[in-house]
Amino acid sequence: MISSSPLAMTAFDYLQPATVQECAEMLAHYGSSASVLAGGTDLVVQLQHRAMRPRVVIGLERIVELRYLEPDNDGGVSIGAMTLLRDVKEASVLSNGLSLIRQGVTQVSCVQIRNMATLGGNSCNASPSADTVPPLIAAGATVRIVGRKGERSLPLEDFFLAPGKTALKVGELLHGFAVPPPLPRTAGVYCKHAIRGPFDLAIVGIAAKVTLDERDRVRSARIVMAAVGPTPLRARKAEVLLTGQVPTEALIVEAGRTAADEARPISDQRASAEYRRSMVEVWTRSALRNALYDARRAAA
Amino acid sequence: MNFHGRTKPHLRLTINGVTREFLVAPTTTLLELVRSKLGLTGAKRGCDDGNCGACTMLIDGAAVKTCIVLALQVQGREVVTIEGLGSPQQLHPLQQAFLDHFASQCGYCTPGMILTAKALLDEYPNATEHDIRDALHGTICRCTGYVKIVEAIEAARDSRV
Repeated sequence: MISSSPLAMTAFDYLQPATVQECAEMLAHYGSSASVLAGGTDLVVQLQHRAMRPRVVIGLERIVELRYLEPDNDGGVSIGAMTLLRDVKEASVLSNGLSLIRQGVTQVSCVQIRNMATLGGNSCNASPSADTVPPLIAAGATVRIVGRKGERSLPLEDFFLAPGKTALKVGELLHGFAVPPPLPRTAGVYCKHAIRGPFDLAIVGIAAKVTLDERDRVRSARIVMAAVGPTPLRARKAEVLLTGQVPTEALIVEAGRTAADEARPISDQRASAEYRRSMVEVWTRSALRNALYDARRAAA
Repeated sequence: MNFHGRTKPHLRLTINGVTREFLVAPTTTLLELVRSKLGLTGAKRGCDDGNCGACTMLIDGAAVKTCIVLALQVQGREVVTIEGLGSPQQLHPLQQAFLDHFASQCGYCTPGMILTAKALLDEYPNATEHDIRDALHGTICRCTGYVKIVEAIEAARDSRV
């Protein structure tokens, strides 16, 4: 007897709202029995493995108002949740102080995945190892959340509550990201440590963004760590350590140690918690050195 | 808005230049639709997990892993499979280059390799060896070691007028 495929999905209805408003109505109506599909590169795999068995899948592909990537009047950039990773990767408006966002996207999987996957989907999936998230947090991005009765925004770092869990309430969807304009002499990088490069999930990911003042002291710094906690984490003590200081090599080493202390890694099939902590130290140093190098060369 | 589970929505797609209409169960992937309903078996079901790239097709010209795409997601769009590239009498330059450079052994990954390469060269006609290797990052071959594949793609690139 031929057994049925173990990977068959359980039945669901597929709904395709045309507007954000229509989508919010559907989300409110179906509540937790619905899953949202953006590019599907994570969700369809979970459906195949029956890790998720929604009764309704709401596909966002028809909602054109969620696809945008445009400069704001103040020099910042707005990016819609349904913007493809391939389009973020190619976006020249994300340059200089914002190029770390493109670096993060470039580290996601492969071209075929980036052709379907979306920036909003990568956040809403709420994986602690998501590569697009630490650069966005480091850049100070806020998320725009829309529901039936209005909208709200919050810092992206507060969007993540636990693995797979976001701050979205029933009836709400992620509209997009607002990235503020970078200050002069700002530079940032994203470093991913993985065995097989972008195609693999990060063992550790580090985004570092620094802004220098006119005397080459650190005016502000952000360090965001992936895959070493239940959500992406900021290394706030390391950030404070750097702020206002001349970034000597000794200070960079100290910041690496501090970030390692702030990480909350677990052991899994990719790496032990101990190894991850060591790698946070190494890659924080490296990310800071590279970001500082770029910031010093950036025009005032 | 009640749950049905058995509705088969209407799907309209252009496949290899021909517009087709189907009634499709929501759980059907694009790969299943193309292989089972259309009998186009060039695209392969490898990992079924979005990893190996054997199921790659072009959607509006972009390479996509179709084992993790629901057919209903690509409503109204243009799909090209390996069957849509050249013919046995007149191979596409990439197909000819793969043949000439012995870039295929078991052949399982070949359709995905060729379509991924086509999308790359269409967008970047002067793609470097680095660009080619980067584009092939998500398309796995367990026979050739990639050297012949990269050489074939470079030859196809260089043969273009």
